[in-house]
Amino acid sequence: MKSNWWKILGILILIYTVIVGMSVPLKPGIERADSISMGSNGNNASSISSGENHVIKVIGYNTNYKDNTNKAWLRLDTIGAVAATKFETISETEANVHFTIPTIFPARDTFQLLSMVIYNKEDGPSILPDAFSIRTNQRSNSNLTEWTVDPITNITDKPGMQFPYRSVLNETIRNTFFHIPLWFSMFILLLISIIYSGKYLKNNNIKDDIIASSLVNVAVLFGILGIITGSIWARFTWGTFWTTDVKLNMSTVAMLIYVASLILRSSINDVDRRAKLSASYNIFAFAALIPLVFVIPRLTDSLHPGNGGNPALGGEDMENTLRMVFYPAIIGFTLLGLWMTSILIRYESLKDRWLSRK
Amino acid sequence: MKKYTPFLTILSLLLFSSSSLQAESPAIDFLRSTGKIYSVIAVIVVIILGIAFFLYRIDNKLTKLENKINNEQ
Repeated sequence: MKSNWWKILGILILIYTVIVGMSVPLKPGIERADSISMGSNGNNASSISSGENHVIKVIGYNTNYKDNTNKAWLRLDTIGAVAATKFETISETEANVHFTIPTIFPARDTFQLLSMVIYNKEDGPSILPDAFSIRTNQRSNSNLTEWTVDPITNITDKPGMQFPYRSVLNETIRNTFFHIPLWFSMFILLLISIIYSGKYLKNNNIKDDIIASSLVNVAVLFGILGIITGSIWARFTWGTFWTTDVKLNMSTVAMLIYVASLILRSSINDVDRRAKLSASYNIFAFAALIPLVFVIPRLTDSLHPGNGGNPALGGEDMENTLRMVFYPAIIGFTLLGLWMTSILIRYESLKDRWLSRK
Repeated sequence: MKKYTPFLTILSLLLFSSSSLQAESPAIDFLRSTGKIYSVIAVIVVIILGIAFFLYRIDNKLTKLENKINNEQ
């Protein structure tokens, strides 16, 4: 029992991951905001023009628009914001918001993007970035009065722990606690396995070979699960099960390299030759994994955070509330993987003992 | 391959039955409802199935080894 504490710890962490990861609500957010009044220039749902009245239909998520403290703004980046003239609540998650867009436009460019901000006391602020594009011919950098009459002030956050709302991700932001830790723990398992492969090549102790190959076995399972879970996630956010994203294809290639190593291993009967071959193969496979998964996706465009110029764990994709579940999940999945490995090791060494006794 | 058939069937039912249909199919619509929360459930189910698959495999391997050892004695 004493030596099993880490197995229990791993399971407890995974229970924490599932319970907290699934039960903490998302922040109230704006799912859609469409302009339903056509301006004189024949505007569409996401473009509005200056100097006109606009009615914007807002669909919220987790919101309480029946709270009567609703306020809405269209925010022009850092310069100012114009407040809504009227907030018509239709239901808890639907509202029509009326705006009078100022004529004078305090920016150098004729084309700007406006973000939608909605605040009420119950929900706190919710933002839809770059909700509308706006065009104007009258510009002035000095006349900002219309944009600063009713600034965004007196805003307090909703109390309690919530996960951030992202318009396409919605609830699938919770996959951060399952899909990504699988890859992280796969990488940790493979890292430990090359240490044991190196140890085998140095000492020729068959026990090290068994440990290394068992770790690769479990890591490959985690990698395949990572590909399948990522594929499901992609279906509901990017639209298809498989995109031409480099990270997808390269991680599949990396997985195939490791699957090949397991097949190669099972095809050799001589124990020492098998161990020597799979140990050196394992080190080369890891050397191939790093450029395939970490370098190439960063050099080209990728939909994954952390690649193709997207910020990874730093930028807006990760928030402290997510980290509170994400980091423990990595430890939990790694401990579970080590437990699975230890069972495999025990089986393999039993088999080895039996075979060598014959 | 034959012994993995139940797992592969469940997996393919989960994944590829819906991929051949249009986005408006009831299965996809259900997974998409309530802010796509059911796609997260699908991800968790896949992970549990993967671990179950691992357990099933090692269970079979151990049974074989046990039989070999028992038969020799």
